[in-house]
Amino acid sequence: MPFDPVAIAIPVFVVLILAELLWLRRKGERHGYEWRDTGTSLAIGLGSTVAGALTGGVTAALLVWLHTLSPLSIGWAWWAWPLCFVLDDLAYYVFHRSAHRVRWFWASHVNHHSSQHYNLSTALRQSWTGFFALSFVFRMPLALIGFEPGMILVCAGLNLVYQFWIHTEAVKRMPPWFEAVMNTPSHHRVHHAVNPRYLDRNFAGALIIWDRLFGTFAPEDDTDRIRYGIVSQLGTFNVFYAVFHEWIAIARDMWRAPWRHKLSYLLRAPGWSHDGSRETSDLIRERWQRTQKDRHGS
Amino acid sequence: MGGETVQFLGALAAVVALVAITYVLGFRLSGRISSIEEAAELFRLAPGGFEPASIALDEKGEAAIARDGVGRIALLIQHGSQFVVRELPDGTPIRAVEGRLEIEPVPAARLRIGDDAGDWATTDIDANSG
Ligand SMILES: [Zn+2]
Ligand SMILES: [Zn+2]
Repeated sequence: MPFDPVAIAIPVFVVLILAELLWLRRKGERHGYEWRDTGTSLAIGLGSTVAGALTGGVTAALLVWLHTLSPLSIGWAWWAWPLCFVLDDLAYYVFHRSAHRVRWFWASHVNHHSSQHYNLSTALRQSWTGFFALSFVFRMPLALIGFEPGMILVCAGLNLVYQFWIHTEAVKRMPPWFEAVMNTPSHHRVHHAVNPRYLDRNFAGALIIWDRLFGTFAPEDDTDRIRYGIVSQLGTFNVFYAVFHEWIAIARDMWRAPWRHKLSYLLRAPGWSHDGSRETSDLIRERWQRTQKDRHGS
Repeated sequence: MGGETVQFLGALAAVVALVAITYVLGFRLSGRISSIEEAAELFRLAPGGFEPASIALDEKGEAAIARDGVGRIALLIQHGSQFVVRELPDGTPIRAVEGRLEIEPVPAARLRIGDDAGDWATTDIDANSG
């Protein structure tokens, strides 16, 4: 990789978190952060850099190998950079949508959503088990198309760095043209919400266009206060529980389930159950829509 | 020490410093529920849904208890400055003691609700003095 955007950005992350803390304090909004929640987020972030360092070499080697199989070699032409970034962002969208719709990938991604707070420290709750979950397969097609492995990794890093600043309540709305094209704090607040209307929406990395294109976009409604986190809130600041709880839950469900349902607990949507005792995001939204109708009598 | 170790220790120091600063700047408030309406909104987010029919709020807003139309009981329990909703298993004993509710399996739920405490007790009347 020519350079590692994430490593370069870490000091900037620290400065921006400090700035957000001071800004919130000046506004008297001392519910915006909670020190133990921040500790959990940052510890998970630190752990994810260790996991990344341990497995990054394998991912890079896989990309290099696939690149040699490609009939094309795009090389380092200047125009390849924006093209690679946009296609990598599309790959991220597919990954991220799968991460919410397939429990196997969700088990690795869920820790990013486990905070009930939404601030810049939340952005650093990154997965430890992404490599184990094989999340890297989503980026492999880019190497097969013929993009340079180093370019793919830089674009992936830039994408991750971009996503840092959108984890804040400090920015209400960006200019309309920006909100139309780019992922923004407003769009990503929706993604972290547990309000039924917002579940499984706005999977974008850097560009919101994919959600608009594929029908998964929801705008933020300022009249409905957002509650953050996951449907079954953890209720603990334990780092290891936050990182591994869904893997443990999958193992428990598969152990208990009848044989013909075991794989479904791994591969179907989070919340699916063979006896209908739980709810997926879609079921939660349907139930909510029914109660809305009852309440407003239509 | 290798470069990676130095980088890790630097990041670790930054993490400890940021958490300490967050604490010192006063970001250590406990959660408060401001109203019955807010409690209802939070109860409705329970996994599987929970439509509260009646709610009692702790005097300081540090917890809440609710009953739905079919008699299920759920609690809002403080988690840092936020709340988590937990449904109680059927038959969980709830004792009313001097305007306070005691729910043994959930010691974190400290509910001071005053005169109405007796309405929420599920153990036999003699044991309750709400
Ligand atoms: Zn997500
Ligand atoms: Zn996020």
